[in-house]
Amino acid sequence: MELTKNLSWSKARDILKDWRENNQRRSVEVVEIWETVLASKIHKLGDDRFVLLEQVSIAALDCNRIDVAASCIHTLIKEFPNSLRVRSLIVMKLEAQERYDEALDHLDTIIKLDESNTTARKRKICILKAKNKIPEAIKELTEYLKKFMTDQETWQELCDLYLAEGDYSKAAFCMEELFLHHPHNHLLHQRYADILYTMGGPEQLELATSHYLMAINLNAKNIRALYGLLLTSQQLQNSAKTTSNKKKEASKRVVWVSKRLKQLYQEATGNTESLNELMGSLQVS
Amino acid sequence: MAELLLDANIRGWVFLPIVVITFLVGVLRHYVSLLIGGSQKKANIEQVQDSQALLRARLLRENGKYLTRSAFQMRRYYFNDEEVGYFLTQKRTAPASNPMTDPSMMMDMLKGNLTNVLPMIVIGGWINWMFSGFVTTKVPFPLTLRFKPMLQRGIELVSLDPAWVSSASWYFLNVFGLRSIYALVLGENNAADQSRQFQDQMSGAAVQMSVDPKAAFKAEWEALELYQHQSVLSNIESEMDVLEG
Repeated sequence: MELTKNLSWSKARDILKDWRENNQRRSVEVVEIWETVLASKIHKLGDDRFVLLEQVSIAALDCNRIDVAASCIHTLIKEFPNSLRVRSLIVMKLEAQERYDEALDHLDTIIKLDESNTTARKRKICILKAKNKIPEAIKELTEYLKKFMTDQETWQELCDLYLAEGDYSKAAFCMEELFLHHPHNHLLHQRYADILYTMGGPEQLELATSHYLMAINLNAKNIRALYGLLLTSQQLQNSAKTTSNKKKEASKRVVWVSKRLKQLYQEATGNTESLNELMGSLQVS
Repeated sequence: MAELLLDANIRGWVFLPIVVITFLVGVLRHYVSLLIGGSQKKANIEQVQDSQALLRARLLRENGKYLTRSAFQMRRYYFNDEEVGYFLTQKRTAPASNPMTDPSMMMDMLKGNLTNVLPMIVIGGWINWMFSGFVTTKVPFPLTLRFKPMLQRGIELVSLDPAWVSSASWYFLNVFGLRSIYALVLGENNAADQSRQFQDQMSGAAVQMSVDPKAAFKAEWEALELYQHQSVLSNIESEMDVLEG
């Protein structure tokens, strides 16, 4: 409520434009601004009003405000009766109302009209996911990725679904695909290493170590990667399968990473008392 | 050199009309192209797939060093294997190299010419004929002689200071300089902006080149075959001096 107090329509428009361009979803605020400020001033917005209506519709669907979404979409349909973009909004509304079969019908026609429409294909997968048909969704996603194989968003989604299914090696494959695109994103390396660590096994742990190191190399303050490295090295150190040489390396890493962590905590809080306690309890059997 | 003094009529009947005409023609072209351009071109799904495959193969070559050997070999196998490899099994016919045989391409070219090249020639020619030979304005800074052919088109005066701008050159300056005004009046991505058209034409050549998927596949296949996989992961530890202390 703070936000909408004394907000002029032009200011509101600028705020929404800013969010739209930076891909910030902030659905609750969007709907609030729309209802209190912009809904009555829509005619003043010129050609911007259509994108804005789209934004508001999606936000309203996020908040389960079907009434708001319906009125926005209705305006858009009147303006662009044949637009596929508006059509996918209709589909989203149907999805929100859990009318999946109708939504699927619409999506199939969209894909028939425009084969390379990625949004429609993705929405189909969303529906499968919403129905909790994860294996089917995975199948559809792999089909999709055969056609659009550089779509990183989709690789990420597929990775999540594989993780949900507990299929770690395939999830790891998806992560590999992602850091092929962005080799300098430390979060991707860290996540990949997390997956490998979860898989377990000496080879995976070795590889996880390298990727944790990579993540730390790219961002020295990645605490999760530091802890990950600590755990992996400890596991390697305690595992019966590792050779004595590797064990020595692992124990050196444990020392190194504990020192780094202590240093970081020291900088942040000024004491390492609590950390020492935590470190003691941080053991995976 | 004596200071040149321009007649106020030149301002009223040459300088300003050129600005107004170029601007209005740009606006007109925007609406005409909206009228006849209409539908957006839809991408062919096979083309999308091919270009994405090529991009992925290129990324594999660039960043493959972050993968383990087996992960890399797996991906190379996907693209390059003799029996199931993407680059060898996908048979794409080369698109018709002659635009005359493709009526839709012909139509696009015609539309493009109608909205871009034609008005440019007609208006440019008309301006040249109508307003030729005027010195219209002066840029407020000194310039070297090399600028003379650029700024003084249509005036062959050796002794004239290069800072003076002739009417024909003023027209061209306007054509290329009104971009932000169009963006202001017509919104972003308008069709009035000719310099954008020029950019499109420049990049158009490059796009045309890569349209033939067969040749592109062959090149990428070769590059992938030749690529020596070298993992950077093995020496990350020594690089970071983890094992030193």
